[in-house]
Amino acid sequence: MSALTFNSVRKTFGPIVALEGLDLAVQPGELISLLGPSGCGKTTALRVAAGFEKADSGSVSVNGVDITNKPAHKRNMGMVFQSYSLFPNLTVALNVDFGLRTRGIASATRAKRVAEMLELVQLGDLARRYPHQLSGGQQQRVALARALAIQPEVLLLDEPLSALDAKVRLSLRDEIRRIQTTVGITTLLVTHDQEEALGIADRVGVMSSGRLEQLASPNEVYSNPASAFVARFVGSMNELPAVVRGADAVDVAGETIITPSARTQIPGTSILLLVRPEDLTLAPGTEPGLQGTVTSCTFQGAATVVGVRLDVLDVLVNAHVGSSVAGDLVPGQRVSVRIDGTRAVCEVAAAPIEMTEEPAPAA
Amino acid sequence: MAFVENSVGAYATMYAFADSEGDRPTTPTPASRAKRFGRIVPVTIMVLCGLFFTLPLLAMARFSLQNVPMIHLGWSTLFKKWSFSGITRAFGEQGFRDGLKLSSVLAVGTVVLTLGLLLPTALWVHLRVPKARAFIEFLTVLPYVIPPIALVAGIRVIKPHARWFLNSDLSLIPFYVVLALPFTFRALDAGIRAIDVKTLVDASRGLGAGWVTTMRRALIPNLRTAIISSAFLTATVVLGEFTIAQVLLKRTLPQFMAEYQSREGQGGMGLALLAIVATTTLLAILTLATRKRGQAQPISRF
Repeated sequence: MSALTFNSVRKTFGPIVALEGLDLAVQPGELISLLGPSGCGKTTALRVAAGFEKADSGSVSVNGVDITNKPAHKRNMGMVFQSYSLFPNLTVALNVDFGLRTRGIASATRAKRVAEMLELVQLGDLARRYPHQLSGGQQQRVALARALAIQPEVLLLDEPLSALDAKVRLSLRDEIRRIQTTVGITTLLVTHDQEEALGIADRVGVMSSGRLEQLASPNEVYSNPASAFVARFVGSMNELPAVVRGADAVDVAGETIITPSARTQIPGTSILLLVRPEDLTLAPGTEPGLQGTVTSCTFQGAATVVGVRLDVLDVLVNAHVGSSVAGDLVPGQRVSVRIDGTRAVCEVAAAPIEMTEEPAPAA
Repeated sequence: MAFVENSVGAYATMYAFADSEGDRPTTPTPASRAKRFGRIVPVTIMVLCGLFFTLPLLAMARFSLQNVPMIHLGWSTLFKKWSFSGITRAFGEQGFRDGLKLSSVLAVGTVVLTLGLLLPTALWVHLRVPKARAFIEFLTVLPYVIPPIALVAGIRVIKPHARWFLNSDLSLIPFYVVLALPFTFRALDAGIRAIDVKTLVDASRGLGAGWVTTMRRALIPNLRTAIISSAFLTATVVLGEFTIAQVLLKRTLPQFMAEYQSREGQGGMGLALLAIVATTTLLAILTLATRKRGQAQPISRF
């Protein structure tokens, strides 16, 4: 039995469909991150789970109990918000105490629990501070302590890191994961930051237009995207016009590339082949493969991103090359590009006439 | 501020030079003259405004607090025979005490009713129908636009049908609530917009608090400044209102003051001066007290 279940949840705001029949089951103790562009419905999903929004249809249940019609304050959810949601008039300790107090717990138990929670987020010595005396990262840790203090059934994190600067974001991300595994709490995290989603979660749910496009492990989502949308949204992709040749082969400007993703396509179809930058291999000179000219080299530490303009298709592709190898490449140099199609994704190309957005010239 | 005014002054003179003398160089450079000009103008305006406000008050003070016949009020008598006897005599009047009592009751009643109605409304608008905010704001400024005399005409129409209501002194409260609307709604609205009400409400409800607890523990403490200022502004409106009380024949403090003024010119003027000083002091205290409160500060981000 899953800890948190969405059952074909649909939610609209006027003409806008935020959730289009969302089905999702979070297993006990699991951390699932919902990833998607803004407006894909991920935050709505979280707010429906918290009870802040009411689903138009469908149901939400926690540990098998239907909570669809339960008001927010009667649900047992811990929520951390994107913006700092601490009560500015209360100290850190009283903020953590807030939920315990509304539950009418005896004060001795409350004090003990507040101390425990602040210890868990390593802020025991700041109990008497006010929120405005804390840094952003500290405020979010207090918010986490406050959410966990009530021993919720599910922890809901609504972009908890997006208002923080890069360094704090990274350390707090690991901190959240550490606390989540220590407490063993079922967690749903919403984020638009793919690095965050892939780095922290047991499973990643990629959402688009109110639907779950793919729900799988971070590695699976990256290496075996279920759709062109997922492929493009997670990581970066090169897009090469191609034609399906056979069961698992496509033709890119005369080069045959073996790719299992062509199996579902009808031979002869025009497609876009989506290939990860690390699946392109560059060789100096004129070896077999697609010919092109290096246009740029961007050093990124371990890898270097090399931009290559292909002769035949006149498209720009990016290749990730190990920096030790890339040292030999300079802009203007002729290279041949070889494509490993094992992880590539086929997308049926739109009809050529729709490719251009300019109106047809008047006759 | 000073910088802005200076530069505006400087531009003005530069244009003047361009018009009259073209590009010919002049002995006192345009910049230095502009600078001096730019300083003189704001200072002059300040002094003029200051005199405009203080002279009548000084005149009031001399008329009401000096026991010198008006014909002799000149420079030579500036420091003679100052006394508060006019005001203390007014304090002794039964009408003064009754008026003060009634006006105080009305002020408290109006503040309570105003906050009771407007705080939930402002929050509800903010949380549920933010699009209606502009409309509500427009509604609340209507008492500004519609002259009180129109309200009074309205009262005349309903008077024969609602004597049981209008006979009570407390019947002024609903009218005062309406008159205070332009001030109170804005004060509350500004306070609500200064904090992230939506997130605070969500956080509170997510932690198991119902609406009452949310209001009591999460919202009202953080809106304290706004609530206090709107209460003060409401009280100020009530303590100064004359027209409606006159029409409904209520013996409020402003009524007494007008009546006393016609009977005892000096003491009446003294009371008026005292009212101005008291209100100003109250507003000054309010401004200082609310500025020091830490809660209304925006929540720091980093």
